[in-house]
Amino acid sequence: MSIDLFTLFREEADANGIVFYYSGILSQNVIKTMSDSLKQKLQNQDAKGARSRKVFSTFIEMVQNALHYSPEAPGSDDTKQGSILVGQNQDKYFVICANFIQKQHESRIREKIDPILKMSADEIRQAYRTQLKNDQHSDDTISKGAGLGFLTLARDSVEPIEYVIRDAIGYENELSYFYLKATI
Amino acid sequence: MTDIYIPATSDTPEINFKFSNNTLSMSGEAYPENGVEFFRPILRQLQSHLKSLNGDSVEFNFKLTYFNSVSTKIFYSMFELLNEYAKNHPNCVLLNWHHDEEDDTILELGQDVQEDFTWIDFNAIVLA
Repeated sequence: MSIDLFTLFREEADANGIVFYYSGILSQNVIKTMSDSLKQKLQNQDAKGARSRKVFSTFIEMVQNALHYSPEAPGSDDTKQGSILVGQNQDKYFVICANFIQKQHESRIREKIDPILKMSADEIRQAYRTQLKNDQHSDDTISKGAGLGFLTLARDSVEPIEYVIRDAIGYENELSYFYLKATI
Repeated sequence: MTDIYIPATSDTPEINFKFSNNTLSMSGEAYPENGVEFFRPILRQLQSHLKSLNGDSVEFNFKLTYFNSVSTKIFYSMFELLNEYAKNHPNCVLLNWHHDEEDDTILELGQDVQEDFTWIDFNAIVLA
């Protein structure tokens, strides 16, 4: 990449209100370091604590989701990769995360998110509470979490969460790229 | 039962479970890489300690400022254990729910906890 192109990349990020962007290896240590940095930035920018906390929570849910569920990045030695971005547009924040998924898991992810997209705020809250009390972690053997991740994101998002699944260029047969966005 | 003390790290809370005087406290933030692995031994010890009690008063101080979804679910299991004990020994479990005034997420979760675990005496405390 030329310096000119990088200048454009950086200026475009500034113009779009990007306060934080990371792309690379994901590990819990990287997440902890990013968390410190993001917290500081949010503290400097936002006097109202409630929104900052929701932005931080959304960031953690997304990035841990990517860490837990993305397959090893192709050509890497047992490492996970992802891209995460936090930005501000007028009085709202947005968080977007992108990571590899296995093509075979695509329909499973759609089945988890699509119903949430159709829910009202009240229905999301109800579904969240039901899942919180649900002891059996259903029939889902792949999920390692609480089954609450997407509902937590949806609960804190002031607009419906959005997602897109695209072919992973060069790995179209086995991998896709999963993009997820929340607005706080 | 030996007391549990685990100091806080940036992604795990301070756990201060003084079984010797039935004062159990958690503070800090909780978003470990593997929440189940981190909390499972603590839950096990809490469970067996509660089994050994017979009507002793238990005080639980919940002072966390952030926790991820996996941790939230685990705390629900913890409150379930306390609720079961309180069901057999009414008025024996006090949950002090510390929350920042601005933090509506933790405030709302407290309301859910209060509704879902009716045997536990719930005391909301606004962090100064």
